[in-house]
Amino acid sequence: MPPEPMPPEPTPPEPTTPPGTGPEEFQVRLDGRPVPARAGQTVAAVLLAAGVRSWRTTRQAGRPRGLFCGIGVCFDCLVTVGGTPNVRACVTLAEPGDDIRTQQGTGWPLPVPASGTGAAAGTGAAGGTEKAAGTEKAAGTAAAGGTEVAR
Amino acid sequence: MTGVRRVDVAVIGGGPAGVAAAVTAAEAGAGVVLVDGAPRLGGQYYRRPPAGSEQLSRGRRRHRWRAFDGLEARLEELVAAGRLQVLPGTTVWSAEGGSPFLLRTRGGDRDPLAPVGLLRARTVVLATGAHDRQLPFPGWDLPGVMTGGAAQALVKGSGVLPGQAVVVAGTGPFLLAVAATLLRAGGRVVAVVEANTPHRLLTRPSELLPGLGRSGQLAGFAALLVRHRVRYLARHRVLRAVGGDAVGAVVVARVDGQGRVRSGTERELACDVLAVGQGFVPQTDLAVQLGCPVGTGTDGGPAVTVDDLQQAGVPGVFAAGESTGVGGAELALVEGLVAGAAAARRLGLAPAVDQDLLRRRQRRVAGLRRFADALHRTFPADPGWAQRVDDATLICRCEEVTAGRVREAVTGLGAADPRTVKLLTRAGMGWCQGRICAEAVDRLCPPPPDPAAGTARMLSAAKRPLAVPVGLGALAAMDGPGPDPGHPGAGPAGPSAGGSPGPRPLSTPDQPRRDQEGPTP
Repeated sequence: MPPEPMPPEPTPPEPTTPPGTGPEEFQVRLDGRPVPARAGQTVAAVLLAAGVRSWRTTRQAGRPRGLFCGIGVCFDCLVTVGGTPNVRACVTLAEPGDDIRTQQGTGWPLPVPASGTGAAAGTGAAGGTEKAAGTEKAAGTAAAGGTEVAR
Repeated sequence: MTGVRRVDVAVIGGGPAGVAAAVTAAEAGAGVVLVDGAPRLGGQYYRRPPAGSEQLSRGRRRHRWRAFDGLEARLEELVAAGRLQVLPGTTVWSAEGGSPFLLRTRGGDRDPLAPVGLLRARTVVLATGAHDRQLPFPGWDLPGVMTGGAAQALVKGSGVLPGQAVVVAGTGPFLLAVAATLLRAGGRVVAVVEANTPHRLLTRPSELLPGLGRSGQLAGFAALLVRHRVRYLARHRVLRAVGGDAVGAVVVARVDGQGRVRSGTERELACDVLAVGQGFVPQTDLAVQLGCPVGTGTDGGPAVTVDDLQQAGVPGVFAAGESTGVGGAELALVEGLVAGAAAARRLGLAPAVDQDLLRRRQRRVAGLRRFADALHRTFPADPGWAQRVDDATLICRCEEVTAGRVREAVTGLGAADPRTVKLLTRAGMGWCQGRICAEAVDRLCPPPPDPAAGTARMLSAAKRPLAVPVGLGALAAMDGPGPDPGHPGAGPAGPSAGGSPGPRPLSTPDQPRRDQEGPTP
């Protein structure tokens, strides 16, 4: 007999410790907004724990993408970190102060840094300031995504 | 340019097979380097948070960890004694030559311009593991749809649940392991959707015997599902994932032995995550680069052909674990022990290898392999998939190629193999180099005339001169020692540097030619 489909829980459970406060906790930024992280977590885990399920759009159809293979094989979870586009969120550990940007298409040119620091350093994208963010869409697909596992 | 590191044994991959091989070879007296892409050893099965972040771990350690714990303790002693070196966060992207072999490495994605690392090794042990096998269905590209391996890695490595309500689907015993991992971490599993009939396994008692330990583990998973009142839907399949910007539900239905839907059994399960997989695909890139024979495993995937000493067909190259055919962590570990001993023996360190022990381990490998084969026969990956898949279904996620376009290349343009389909449609030409879609594209092509032709065309699609993308800047800066004089003309098989005006920190051999900067309307 087919059981009734059950709706997902509406709200994520609260982490038992306030995020971003403990000794092994820190903040990163996603498109400028602060996101709590814990040392040892991957960028993908940090984003999913914050309820963000997608952080990239595809080159052709502009479709939202997020975590898929989770072990560095499929390159679906690409994201811009510290001005470097096409970083695999699933195998890259988050670091304190990381400037994470949702990525559109190839990731070039780089988005404008929100606070005048950070992005576009080092790798020298030509015309890197032309395409202002416009990345809200992908970040906005958040909804009730992952949950931090309570301790 | 960093210098060339010279070693007796280079072990590639830090899961149970790689760690076992590295420890065995180093204890026999060989100088060993163990290269692993992850920040911490363990591979997928023994994945843990990075050192110093143990507070992320969920649940108590299971007794199955003891075998690995013991190996790791020995490894740490060898490291302290300077007899074994571990290179974490490092990926081998090219392997060439004959003993000594030249291996090229890169670090993480954060610094794509970091110089290429070089290793010259007298012997190589390939322990490169596997990734989840996928057969596309409508909606599989929606955020929230991920592999079973991804869901497990999130919990094991980062202490994060993938979502609020998870449907686990596909086929194989791994589905139970994924559900168990989620439940033990406090997650909610809506249902486990298994396409096959697991109890058929019980009709093969003689094959089950060698895998008794693992059978017990599976029974434990099943009990856990019952305790958490998780629905186990055997002989059911996910027809599609539905949602707008992310998955909100999956439609499942009961299927017959050929995977055909029984009408009237469709139902929708609300979820925010679908963790899906149809078994695993061995990572054989480096074996192919080195010229090792690769055949077809019992599960239809590629498998490095090895003998009972784990020798991979090229003198000095050994393979262990999932790369020789998917068989689970326990088998991988024993194969690693054999490969490490065999590598040491090849280096003239035979007296240090206990022959009786080696023979016992070889018998264990054979038994566990029989068990793995029984599992593969019990959980086939949807043999009728190619006949049913809808034209609108995305096949190649990277290049956004649908089943319809692949079929058009096959029926309209006469493509008879995945390589031709790739040239005509770009399917398999993107970032992942066809790792995710290779099997799907192969199945959409006309069936090969014979098994040998099937293996040959699978291999043709599996040729990846760079096993992972490497920065053009890093390639351009490679001025260090080239290949051995004995192996001329084997320079870095990098992507063509022409035609790319701007800097592009990471690149695949098949560089996308279209530079679209945003979503098309």
